[in-house]
Amino acid sequence: MNPTPTLVPERLGTGPPGRRAAEPRTRRRAGRRFGVRVLAVLALLALWQVAATAARNPSFIPTPGAVWDQLLRLSTTHDGIRGYSGSLLVEHLGVSLRRILIGSAIGVAAGLVVGVILGTVPWIRVVAEPVVTFVRALPPLAYFSLLIIWFGIDETPKLWLLAIAALPPVAVATAAAVHGAPKDLVEAAGALGASRWDVIRDVVLPNALPEIFTGVRLAVGIAYSSVVAAETVNGVPGIGGMVRDAQRYLQTDVVVLGLIAIGISGLLIDGALRAAEQRLIPWRGHS
Amino acid sequence: MSSTPDAAVSVHEVEHVYGTGPDAVTALGPLSLEVPAGSFLVIVGASGCGKSTLLRLIAGFEEPTSGRVRIGDSPPTPGKGAGIVFQQPRLFPWKSVGGNVELALRYAGVPRAERARHIPELLLRVGLRDVAHRRTWQISGGQQQRVAIARALASDNPLLLLDEPFAALDALTRERLQEDLRLVSAQTGRTSVFVTHSVEEAVFLGSRVVVLTRRPGRIALDLDIPLPRTGLEPDELRALPEYAALRATVSQAVRTAAT
Repeated sequence: MNPTPTLVPERLGTGPPGRRAAEPRTRRRAGRRFGVRVLAVLALLALWQVAATAARNPSFIPTPGAVWDQLLRLSTTHDGIRGYSGSLLVEHLGVSLRRILIGSAIGVAAGLVVGVILGTVPWIRVVAEPVVTFVRALPPLAYFSLLIIWFGIDETPKLWLLAIAALPPVAVATAAAVHGAPKDLVEAAGALGASRWDVIRDVVLPNALPEIFTGVRLAVGIAYSSVVAAETVNGVPGIGGMVRDAQRYLQTDVVVLGLIAIGISGLLIDGALRAAEQRLIPWRGHS
Repeated sequence: MSSTPDAAVSVHEVEHVYGTGPDAVTALGPLSLEVPAGSFLVIVGASGCGKSTLLRLIAGFEEPTSGRVRIGDSPPTPGKGAGIVFQQPRLFPWKSVGGNVELALRYAGVPRAERARHIPELLLRVGLRDVAHRRTWQISGGQQQRVAIARALASDNPLLLLDEPFAALDALTRERLQEDLRLVSAQTGRTSVFVTHSVEEAVFLGSRVVVLTRRPGRIALDLDIPLPRTGLEPDELRALPEYAALRATVSQAVRTAAT
């Protein structure tokens, strides 16, 4: 790795001032940050417990203990009833995640194509950009009614909803990044004999990747928050459907449990996307 | 008028104007120039004399307002007929060093199976060893510019165009790259057109030096540099009395042309 191997022993001997010394410190800082976070969660739980006790109405604010009991109950078969409405909590979550995955995958793929076209063909952008902005401004629940009329109440309208919700952020981010492709690199590729398509594939898209990834994270987040809307009709099994159903029977502890499950899985997915981003885009911040 | 048969580049009565109406600025010309195959032409001039414009016209990035540019027999097209090195390396940061050269080989139509063999060869030719796997920001500015040269050499274009490629480098690195480029050009026998504002660089590298006047750039001096292209160490070359005399001549011409 090192082009001047003679420098290595010298470095080891004196000990470089920057990196090595910094490592334990950053680890200590990360440890402290983790501790603070655990404390914050504990404080929140305590506050929750106090509020629930003060309210003295489990249908209004269920105690953390009651929600915990629901977690155990919905994760097993009790008195012949399997979880909630025949599905365990993880299964509800799994069905929703599958919808999010498929819906936002379609939305992201379509958003990429739309974004590249918007970013490269000026007259299409003039026509299509207001449409994309229009769709982005619509709340998913508003066009869900139309999707149900068109596609019925099964999986299809749900996937459509999530795809439509996920498309605009990716399209907008891609279009901006593609449009702002660095002229000097495009010119350099052209000077090496790259065709128009080569330039898009080897310069414009890789250059746009960091921004596209931000768009994807945004899109998955929006798909996530739209899944509850998508599952308002015939949404069981599904975590949003479960929450909706429990609300109808005033099972507040199940509602809260569903919210926590959605939130935590959302955090995990965003973390996974961030990790993927760091692996896929090592050049981020280097020009 | 037709160009001489062995001219790699011919520039005929070329004039270039930027902008239109009252804002129009004539950057260059009218100017005519023939570059014989195998020669190393250096174009020198002060900032804003249109020397970079001339190179961009030869590269085909821009079309002259009037006049004609030919590479061999055809009008210039970027990516065809000439390898280009810019002032900045313009490497692709999403590719490794080797990946950058690989891309250039692919655009040059080299089959996949042969590219892996060509990458270390090309890098070695510009004095780089064991860097193919590195990221582009992990190597020094001088090394980046060497990669840019390797990339420009990837296709078998007989012409190499260089637009102040060493201007952003420190003096020591700059000298090393000049020496290596002189050697590479002697070895490959390519026709080169090199733009610089440095008289020293011009006399050291060129087999012929053209000095441009200030804007609009015209030819102020067209001088053959009859120094040996091979066989001498760089320091021996710089120590020759002829070298000093040529440098003085060019320097004088640049100073006169700028006023």
